[in-house]
Amino acid sequence: MAAPSRLPLLQVCSTRVFLLRCTQGFHSEPTVREPAYPPVIPSRTAKSKSAKKRREDDYHSQIRAASSVQDKLRLLTKLQREKYVVYPQTFTLNADRWYQHFTKTVFLPGLPEKFSVGRQVVDNENGKVPPAAGGVDPAVVDENTFSELRSLVGNGILQENFYLKKRRPFLQKEQEHVVAPFLSNLVSSVTNALAKYNPLLKKSSLDFNPEVSFYWVRGERTVTRGHRRGRVDPIRFQINDQPHCQIRVPEQLEEFLPLQESVSAEVPVVHFEPNRLPMFQRQYDNNIFIGSKVTDPCSYGHTQFHLVHDRFKRDRLIKGNLADQIEVRLRANAIASLFAWTGAQAMYQGFWSHEDLTRPFVSQAVVTDGQYFSFFCYQLNTLALTVQTDQNNPRKNICWGTENMRLYEEVKDGEVVGLNDDVLKLLVHFLLNKPQKM
Amino acid sequence: MPKIVLHGVRSTEPMLLAVQIGNAARSAFLNYSHSRRCDVGGRRFFSVTYSLFGRGPPSRKEKKTVEIPGLDRVTYADRMHFVPGLAKPIFPDWQRHWHDPHHYRGPNNEEMKLHKENPCYVFNQRTKILEGVRQALWLTKSKLIQGLPEHILSLADDPANQIEDQDARVQQAIRHSRFWDTTAIRPKRDRFCPVLLWDLLHLCGTLQVKHTSLSKRILAENYRVAALWNRESDIFQVRGLNGMLLNSMTPLPVVAQSGEVLATKNHTLETFYPISPTIDLQCTYVYDQKNDTGFRDRYPYPHTHTLFFTETEDSAAKFKPEQLRAKMIMFAFGNALARAKSLHGEHPQVLEHPVVVQSIATDGRLFQFIVLQLNTTDLGPDTGVKNLVWMDQDQLLYDYAKCRPLIKKKIVTVPAGLSGYQPETFRKFLALHLHGAV
Repeated sequence: MAAPSRLPLLQVCSTRVFLLRCTQGFHSEPTVREPAYPPVIPSRTAKSKSAKKRREDDYHSQIRAASSVQDKLRLLTKLQREKYVVYPQTFTLNADRWYQHFTKTVFLPGLPEKFSVGRQVVDNENGKVPPAAGGVDPAVVDENTFSELRSLVGNGILQENFYLKKRRPFLQKEQEHVVAPFLSNLVSSVTNALAKYNPLLKKSSLDFNPEVSFYWVRGERTVTRGHRRGRVDPIRFQINDQPHCQIRVPEQLEEFLPLQESVSAEVPVVHFEPNRLPMFQRQYDNNIFIGSKVTDPCSYGHTQFHLVHDRFKRDRLIKGNLADQIEVRLRANAIASLFAWTGAQAMYQGFWSHEDLTRPFVSQAVVTDGQYFSFFCYQLNTLALTVQTDQNNPRKNICWGTENMRLYEEVKDGEVVGLNDDVLKLLVHFLLNKPQKM
Repeated sequence: MPKIVLHGVRSTEPMLLAVQIGNAARSAFLNYSHSRRCDVGGRRFFSVTYSLFGRGPPSRKEKKTVEIPGLDRVTYADRMHFVPGLAKPIFPDWQRHWHDPHHYRGPNNEEMKLHKENPCYVFNQRTKILEGVRQALWLTKSKLIQGLPEHILSLADDPANQIEDQDARVQQAIRHSRFWDTTAIRPKRDRFCPVLLWDLLHLCGTLQVKHTSLSKRILAENYRVAALWNRESDIFQVRGLNGMLLNSMTPLPVVAQSGEVLATKNHTLETFYPISPTIDLQCTYVYDQKNDTGFRDRYPYPHTHTLFFTETEDSAAKFKPEQLRAKMIMFAFGNALARAKSLHGEHPQVLEHPVVVQSIATDGRLFQFIVLQLNTTDLGPDTGVKNLVWMDQDQLLYDYAKCRPLIKKKIVTVPAGLSGYQPETFRKFLALHLHGAV
């Protein structure tokens, strides 16, 4: 602008027009220019790590944007690949440590505070029981009701073991022949009797031989041989469980521990590949199922009842110097089954590994062989188990469990000898569990 | 060795089919051995083709040995080889002098310990009798009344006896059993039928909050009943596994009072000449004469309340409604008779306190209800007091439960989901369940 005129530069710079033009633009917004080209992002189809990452991110955003839970589950489970099949009732040694590693679970012996503090379930004096130290009102059952429950349980045991004339069971079918009917009778009669103390049980749904399945990804491995050698593959797991019966409720149970609270115990880490357990891979339908489809209103779990399988014989384990494996197998059963159930419940609510839980999911289980009972509680705090999501995830899932306790000593001449009241009280306490506001 | 590649030769399947068809057309049924290792005559085939398609030379007919009393047969036994002109010796049957379980032939009927001269006609769980309900009524000496008794049905009309949101809960139970119970699109009948029954029983069990006497009941599966009676010189028995039994501590109240009972003397039983009343029953000469409820003495739940029948996996046990109703009547009668004989003795008599047994059968959609009152154990003559059967047949619980809508000519004739729910049927179910406890 100064160039075409013959005036000297300094004189032009001091003119009023020039000074106005120079100061005019300082306080106004810079003009926004529309990008002339699309953003530079990695390719979708190239054979590169960034392309793979982009494909994965697109997949994740597609899942996040899914309109319904059924769509989300379909997108998560539609691709079939080889996966490890986790059997809750396994005979492998020390399976509970491996299962804890696969599910990022911490095992705490005993039961949570809810079941130990204020354990007075039975109101012996027929008066008002003062609330326990924690300020939580324990569920209290009448003395009459408890004695009625005792007689119900005793009659159930006697019917299957004494009064009902049965033929000899077929080989390896003793549980189905003797214990399964007793357990069905026990669960239905005790649930009906306790319905008046726990209104949640009135709205519950009792399933027999339901299917519970869960599919998840934990850890990574490098493919060693084959045309995919060197590639990093996630390790996939699937549980297909069939408990003897389960109670599903329309409202969620309360958490045992707050979500953010850290537990002192550690999750055991196993550095071997899962196939060293031994565990085997198969490729079939990936299912995520709590026992009933997503449209069922009873979409939260309350209690599961498991029967140990016929090959689980205590005396044989003790004879073979594997007495500690008795507890191991029960724990492995509980951890795997309850993780699958709570995980499936969480996925039914729309949570998955990249959209982690905002509230913990809680369920209970009883594992029995007819005479010995063990009680387990599980709190699912996190579903983020993949390598990518687990990097900054301090949360752990927690499983509490008791050792096995005998319900009765033996059946002699039409009488049940040594019926243990503590086991019954614990069962009653379990079934009386309900959300605070009810 | 070079690989032999057959070009231009299609698969051998069509060729085999032609051969098969040809063979089937040519050979008689008995000579055609489908993968059996020998034919009817005991001749063995030594190759795969022969065992599938082989006929071989026809087996020679055995010549009859003629026994003329007083004359010895001159045989070639001493000569140790065939001699033309001499008779064939009859050697004694070879005996294996040790017990081989794989080749054990039991004793003939006549040699068995329990062999009797008179045959016994046994009704078991797979018997489908030709004349259905009419035949069952003749066999049990009963009079049929269509429709359930009024005072039982009125139990369910009382609002105090109804479940909260009864219709909604029952529809939810139907949807759970028909749609939601499986990872597949729809569950099979042998899965959804018992699941529906258990769900309905669980619903009825929630009424225990209001009526505590409902707790005095227990379910028994896999029990075997035995009942024996004679009608007009024929002996009949009802035997074996049948269904799920609901036992109770208190007997069911009498439905028809003594006036109505005595009035049945005038009723004549319907016969269906020329068909014999023993048709389709298993005729056996080896039987044990016993009356057994299936439970030992001093059983805490000695009174039969309801017998439940569901569709099972056993394809031979699929029943048409008429035969199913006959089975219900026969087994309810068997239970009542066994009970009556254990209480009042074997002597045939008219019962002062009639025994009442109920029965409910379902195939997942249709319900059949039966109430049977055993008035007399004197079943020999056709005259006298008769037993009473109230029957409500083919009650639909719902019209359609479709997973995919039924579309005919581009019009949706039946929508997907549950349609045509009929609340009356569940009210009858509930009424029968409450009978005896309210």
